[in-house]
Amino acid sequence: MGTYILKRLLLAVPTLVVASMVIFLLIHIAPGGPVRVMLGPMQDEVLVAKLRHQLGLDLPLYQQYLRWAGKALHGDLGISVTIQRGASVMSLIVQRLSVTLEVAFLSIVVALLIAVSTGILSALRQNRLPDHIARVIALLGVSIPNFFLGIMLILLFGVYFLKPWGAGGFVPLRESIGGNLIRMLLPAIALGTAYSAIVMRMMRSAMLDVMGQDYVRTARAMGIGWASIVRKDIIKNALIPVVTVMGNAIGYLLGGSIVTETVFRLPGVGNLIITGVFRRDFPVIQGIVLTIVVVRIVVNLIVDLLYSYLDPRIRYGRGE
Amino acid sequence: MSAMLLQINDLITRFYTEDGVVNAVDDNSLYLNERETLGIVGESGSGKTVTALSVMGLIENPGRIEHGKILFKGQDLLGKSEKQMQEIRGKDIAMVFQDSLSSLNPTLTVGEQIGRVLRFHTKLSSKRIRHRVVELLKQVGIPEPEKRATNYPHEFSGGMRQRALIAMAISCNPALLILDEPTTALDVTIEAQIFELVNRLKKEFGMGTILITHDLAVVANSCNRVIIMYAGRIVEEALVDSLYERPLHPYTRGLLNSILRLEEETQGTLFSIPGEVPDLIDLPDGCNFSPRCRYANERCWQLDPQLEEIAPGRRAACLRVNDIDE
Amino acid sequence: MIDAAMNKDQLEETKLGMRPHRGLLEEFWHNFKRNKLSLVGGVIVVLFFILGFLAPLLTPCNPVKQFDALRGEHNPLPPLSRSKEGHLFLLGSDKFGRDILARALYGTRTLLELAVGAIAIAFVLGVFMGAVAGYTKGSWLDELIMRAVDIMLSFPTLVLAIALLGAFGIGKTHIGPIVLSNMVKIMVVIAITYSPRFARLMRGVVLQEMTEDYVAASKVAGASGGRIITREVFVNTMPPIMVQASLMMATTVLTSSSLSFLGLGLQPPRPSLGIMLNEARDFLFLGAWWYAIVPGVFISLVILGFNLLGDGLRDSLDPRQARRVQR
Repeated sequence: MGTYILKRLLLAVPTLVVASMVIFLLIHIAPGGPVRVMLGPMQDEVLVAKLRHQLGLDLPLYQQYLRWAGKALHGDLGISVTIQRGASVMSLIVQRLSVTLEVAFLSIVVALLIAVSTGILSALRQNRLPDHIARVIALLGVSIPNFFLGIMLILLFGVYFLKPWGAGGFVPLRESIGGNLIRMLLPAIALGTAYSAIVMRMMRSAMLDVMGQDYVRTARAMGIGWASIVRKDIIKNALIPVVTVMGNAIGYLLGGSIVTETVFRLPGVGNLIITGVFRRDFPVIQGIVLTIVVVRIVVNLIVDLLYSYLDPRIRYGRGE
Repeated sequence: MSAMLLQINDLITRFYTEDGVVNAVDDNSLYLNERETLGIVGESGSGKTVTALSVMGLIENPGRIEHGKILFKGQDLLGKSEKQMQEIRGKDIAMVFQDSLSSLNPTLTVGEQIGRVLRFHTKLSSKRIRHRVVELLKQVGIPEPEKRATNYPHEFSGGMRQRALIAMAISCNPALLILDEPTTALDVTIEAQIFELVNRLKKEFGMGTILITHDLAVVANSCNRVIIMYAGRIVEEALVDSLYERPLHPYTRGLLNSILRLEEETQGTLFSIPGEVPDLIDLPDGCNFSPRCRYANERCWQLDPQLEEIAPGRRAACLRVNDIDE
Repeated sequence: MIDAAMNKDQLEETKLGMRPHRGLLEEFWHNFKRNKLSLVGGVIVVLFFILGFLAPLLTPCNPVKQFDALRGEHNPLPPLSRSKEGHLFLLGSDKFGRDILARALYGTRTLLELAVGAIAIAFVLGVFMGAVAGYTKGSWLDELIMRAVDIMLSFPTLVLAIALLGAFGIGKTHIGPIVLSNMVKIMVVIAITYSPRFARLMRGVVLQEMTEDYVAASKVAGASGGRIITREVFVNTMPPIMVQASLMMATTVLTSSSLSFLGLGLQPPRPSLGIMLNEARDFLFLGAWWYAIVPGVFISLVILGFNLLGDGLRDSLDPRQARRVQR
C-alpha cells in the first residue's frame, strides 16, 4: 500500500506543476496584455510601465513563471490589484476559505447520508415502489440546477415560511454555532442534492452489479444468511466504485459552491472569484483557481487512500 | 444395499425470459445412493447446472421450479422454507462452483470466508473456528495454511482457490457434495490433483457426490454411474463401465467419439458432432437430438422419445436404440 | 432460427449454422426502441428545440420591449396580468416590464444554440484527439494527448470556464484583428472545458474496437489504415459517444446557465434564462415567484430531457443493465 500511495503522490506533482503553468498563463491570454486590462481606461503609459515592472511582467516568460511559482510555494500568491489594493491575495483567500469548505463539507455529509442509504434501499427493492421513487428524485436532483434549487428553497423558507435564516447571509461560528449552522442548511441542501443524486445512482448501480456476482452465489450456496451477504458481500464491494465517483464529483462540488455562495450571499472563496472576474483582478483569480486545484488534488489523494483501504487487490498488489 | 441419499422425481424447471419460456429441466428423474458418485454430463445449456441449483433451492427469477419432488434423506426439499434451506445449504448439501476467482469475495480473506460458513452452521467459538479453518486448508492440501488463511483470494493461484472452495464445502461434513465443473478453468495437471483430492475426501467423509461436467473423460476415473443430459432432458443413464463399453444413445456415442483416443491411429479428421445445441425456447419437433443425429429417421423427427429402462440400471431415450448397432 | 429483424448477412450466417453476429449499432437501435425513458427524454428535447427554433413565431411580443404597468401597479407583474397598453403577460413580466414568456422562449433558443455549438466543437476536437491517441496507442503522441487531457480534467469544469472567461473578459473579445462575439467566445470556452472528456472516451472506445476480430480481419484483407478507422471502427464507436454527447448536453446546459446566472454569460438585454434567475433574486421577497420559476423550470426541463435521453441510450447500449437478477 505504501508504494501505491507514493505512486499517486508522485503522479500528482507533475499534474500540479503543469496545472499551475496553465493558471499562470491565464493572464497572458488576455488580449491586450494583463496590465492594460487591469488598468482599464486609465492608459497612462508611465503607469502602465510602472505596473508592468512591479508585477515583473517585463521579464521573460519562464522567469516570470518561476518567480510566481516560487512565491506561491511560500504562500505568497501576490497582491490584489483592484479588489482591495495592496491586500495579500493569500490573506483574502484564507479569510474566506473556511466558509467555502464548511458549506462543501456539510453538503457532502448530508449528501452521503441520504445517498448511501437510499442507494442501498433502492437496489434491494429493485423495481418496486421505493426504488422508483428514489430514482425519480435522483433524476430530478441531477437535472435541477443548484442555483434554481437554492432560489426555490429561499422562496419556500424565506418568503413563504418567513424564516429569517431562509434568505441567506452568514453568521461566523465563533459568534453563534446555531446561527451559523442553520444558515448553512439551505446552501448545503442546494449544493448537496446533485452530488447526492450522483452518488445514489452509483451506489444503486454498483449494488446491482455486485448482486449478480458469483461470490454472492457462493455465499448463498453455503447457506449464509441474507443480512450477512448484504453487509459483507454486496455493500462492501459496491462501495469501491462509489468512493471513486465520490472523488470525481468533488469537482462538481467545488464549482457548484461558487454558484451557491452567490445565491445565498455567503462570504466564501467562490464569491471572491466572481468579484475578481468582474474587476479583472488577475492575481485574485489565479490565486483562487490554484487553491481550488490544490484542494482537488488533495481530495483525490484522500480518495485514493480510501480506495486502497477498501480494495485488498490494490493494497496487496498482484499475488501469485 | 445403501440407502438413497437423493431422489429427484419428475422435475420441471422453467425460465420465463423476455424471449420466451426456457424448459431448462424437462421432466427428469434421477437418484443418488449414499457414498455413490454420480456424473452428470452434457454441453452448456443441457440443464445439468440448473438441476443442481434446483436441488439447492437457488433458482431465482425469472426461473421457477414448476413440478416435481426432490427427496433428500427422505424429505422433500421443495416443501421447505428459505430459512430451512439455508440451514441445509453448506451443512448437509454443499456445492462447489467453477471459475473460482469470481466465486470468492475479493474483499474478505479466505479464512474469513470459510470461517463464516462455520459460524453460520456450528456453535463453535471464534478460536475453534480459526483452528478448524487452518485444519481444513491443510486437509485440502494448501501449504502454509496459517498464513494462507489471512490471504485474499487474488493472492491464490487458480488451483489453490479451487481447493479453498472445496474446503469451504466440506467444512461442515455434508452428506452430499455437488461439484459443478470444478476444473474447467484449470490446467490438466492441476485438474488431476483436484480429482485426487476429491476422491480422497469422498472416502474419508463418506459423502455422496454429484459431479457435473461436459468432459466425458473426467467421469471415467471418478464416478460410479453416469447420466447424460441433452437440451434439458436425460438421454442416457448407466454404470460407468457399461457406458464406455456400449453406449446406447447416439449423442453419447458422439461424445465418446470426440474424445481423442491415444491408441488409435491419428488419421482423418477430428470427429465432432455436427450442428449445435438447440435453442431451449424453440426446441425441434420430435426428438431433440434428431437434427444432429445420423441415425434419425422419419419417426425420430415426429415422435419425442421417452426415457426407458432398457436393462436394470440402464436407461436411454432413443426410438432407435435397439436398431443401432455398433 | 429465422427472425424478421435479421439483415442479409445475419441470414447468411444462420443458413451456415452460425449464430448471427449483431453489430453494436444494431443491438443498440433494437434496445433503444424498447426503452420508454429515452423516448420521453427524446420527446422533451425535441419539444424544446422546436420551442427555441420557432421562438420568433411563437413569441407573444418582442422580448426586449418594455411595457408599462397599469396605474398603482409595478413591474414585475404576475402571470395573466395586463400592461397599460393592454398586452397580456401570459407568464408575467420582469422588472423592466418585459414579457417573461417571450424572454423564456428566446432564452431557450440561445441556450440551445450555445449548448449545441459548444458540444459540436468539443465533439470535433475531442473525438479527433481521442481517435488519434487511440490509433497511435503507446506513441509519444498518445502520451502527450492523454497527459494534456488529464491536466484539463484536474480543473473542475465551472472553475475552468470562469477562469478562462476571466482571462478573456466579458463581452466581445478582440484577438488582434479577429473579433469574437460574446456567444462564440462562451461556446469556445465551454468546448475547451468539455473536449477532454470526449477525447478520453473516444480513445477508450477506439482501443476497444481495435481489438475486435473484424478489425484484424480487415487488416488481413488489406484495407488501408485510414479506411479501417473511418468505416468500420467509426460506426461502432458512435453509440457510446452519442450517449456521452447527450449526457454532456445536459451538463453543458447546466454550466452555461450557471455562467449566465453568475453574470458571465450573454449580456443584457439579450434574453437569457440564467440572467432572469439572477434578476429574480431581488424580487423574491416582493412575491414575484414567476420571475424565478419560469426560467428555472425551462432550464430544468431541458436538462431533464437530455438526462433521460442519455440514460435511456446508455441502458439501450448495455442490455445487461436493464434485466437484473432479482434476489
